[in-house]
Amino acid sequence: MMAGEMRKSALMAVDEINQSDAFDFTFTPHLRNPGGIVAEYHTACADLIREEHVGHIVGCYTSASRKQVIPIVERTERLLWHPARYEGFESSDNVIYVGAAPNQHVVPLVRHMLDHISADVFCIGSNYIWTWEMNRVIREIVTSASGRILAERLLELGETAVDHIVTEVIDRRPPVVFNTLVGESSYAFMRALHAAATRAGLSIPMLSCSLCEPELKLIGSAASVGCITSSAYFESIEGTENRSFVARWKARHGEDSSLSVDGQSTYVCVMLLARAIRRAGSAEVGAVRRAAANHRYDSPQGPVWVDPDNNHCFLTPRLARSMPGCQFSIFWEADAPERPDPYLSNLDLSAFGRRSGKSNDAVAKRSNHLRIVK
Amino acid sequence: MTRPSPFSIRGRRALMVMRDEREISIVRRQLGRLGMTISEHDPAEPPPIRPSDVILLDADSIPIKSDHATLWKGSVPIIAVIGTETPSRLKWLLDLRPASFLVKPLRSAGLYTALVIAFDSAQRRVEQAAHIEKLEDRIRSRRVVFAAILQVMRGHDMSETEAFALIRQTAMRHRTTIEVLSAQILAAGGMPNRNTRTA
Repeated sequence: MMAGEMRKSALMAVDEINQSDAFDFTFTPHLRNPGGIVAEYHTACADLIREEHVGHIVGCYTSASRKQVIPIVERTERLLWHPARYEGFESSDNVIYVGAAPNQHVVPLVRHMLDHISADVFCIGSNYIWTWEMNRVIREIVTSASGRILAERLLELGETAVDHIVTEVIDRRPPVVFNTLVGESSYAFMRALHAAATRAGLSIPMLSCSLCEPELKLIGSAASVGCITSSAYFESIEGTENRSFVARWKARHGEDSSLSVDGQSTYVCVMLLARAIRRAGSAEVGAVRRAAANHRYDSPQGPVWVDPDNNHCFLTPRLARSMPGCQFSIFWEADAPERPDPYLSNLDLSAFGRRSGKSNDAVAKRSNHLRIVK
Repeated sequence: MTRPSPFSIRGRRALMVMRDEREISIVRRQLGRLGMTISEHDPAEPPPIRPSDVILLDADSIPIKSDHATLWKGSVPIIAVIGTETPSRLKWLLDLRPASFLVKPLRSAGLYTALVIAFDSAQRRVEQAAHIEKLEDRIRSRRVVFAAILQVMRGHDMSETEAFALIRQTAMRHRTTIEVLSAQILAAGGMPNRNTRTA
């Protein structure tokens, strides 16, 4: 599903650029669909570079696919514009990372959990790198704040037999569930947990750093409500840039269609690329990379710019709650775009230790750098 | 025992536990140039029984939380082939105690160095383990040595220094260790017959 959303957004951006007077060049999109088959990404990119002579590639959703593409863009000195949030610990000169880095997605969510829900958490996720690394970060922060990981349950990718874990959650009644499942596994788990919790008369908060609007529809109206989600983009962001973007999107794809963080981020990738080419006066990779650095773009998700230190983007982290109607209600956002920290080298774990146990203090301190919206 | 040179690669057996065909072909070609015997193994399967001298393990292709992930841990040196540098993945790797590593994307350069370092560190590991075992034996024998010194002190009316000197000299004459002689002293209830050769 995400691949389709990302392609639609990329093509929308291309059309807008080609029709705009603000750019004195046009983009010719060349599409390839590796279909999620990891080994195909290398072949598809090699083909784009050798046959179509493209200089810039937008795409890749999973880290596994990105790792396939990096050797070839590094060897041939091309740029990959990567839209998806990921687990960090990478920084290639030939990738512009437009999705959120871990300090921009998981860290604010864990901070919120510690301050407002509980320091004891039940983790469930898909058995691959995203969950392993999210769980590691959660564990580090939670244990620094004297909290506990109550459980760490993993499901194979695509697995939808979730009953045993749902039963365990209902039996143990953890104060909060951190969900790093992806795709059908996540939808099945949220539906089953919602049904079981309703039967048991329980309300167990759930956290996610990947849920997006089109997924709420797939999960279903009742089961998708109430998930606290961290993301740099929600369709419900106020502001003229986003309202206009959403209107253009719906005009193109229908009133019933929803935006997603990854779709929006793909749009931002293409726009950042176009603006960098315009600034550089050339599509040559080195010139574009230099021109993209620190060049602010007022995107649908707010101001975005590339940090030349690590080729990741300054983004504004946000937290929201999923609502009836398959939308998110944003209840917190950072005061300003946050510097990307892909290696979490600026994560101060001792600060989490100091936060625990003194609620009044915490509220006072929090107000310095957090702003409540709505 | 002569120490096998880590630089002699020819004839050693390499097991490739990798998935990516491109990477496999790069490694296979280079190992072939070095004269190694090569076999391949599916990362999804538990480790094979057949012996090898070095394992090239693609860290990205084995789930961290899988039943047989830690079965790779053993005496055969592992060269970790690393794509993902997240701490969760590296923690898993550390548990396997890799002897060396390679970073993707692979190329022909670097593999020889990785092999040499792997063979050398595996050899050092074996030597260190033997050395530690010897030291531990000696620590365990301290109680025996101490009891023998006390016995000689009482039996010969000597100071501790004199008793230890006598035991050490006797051990040297008998061409045995202080620990072995001490055990004999305790068993015999006194200094053993000086004319007896132990070795």
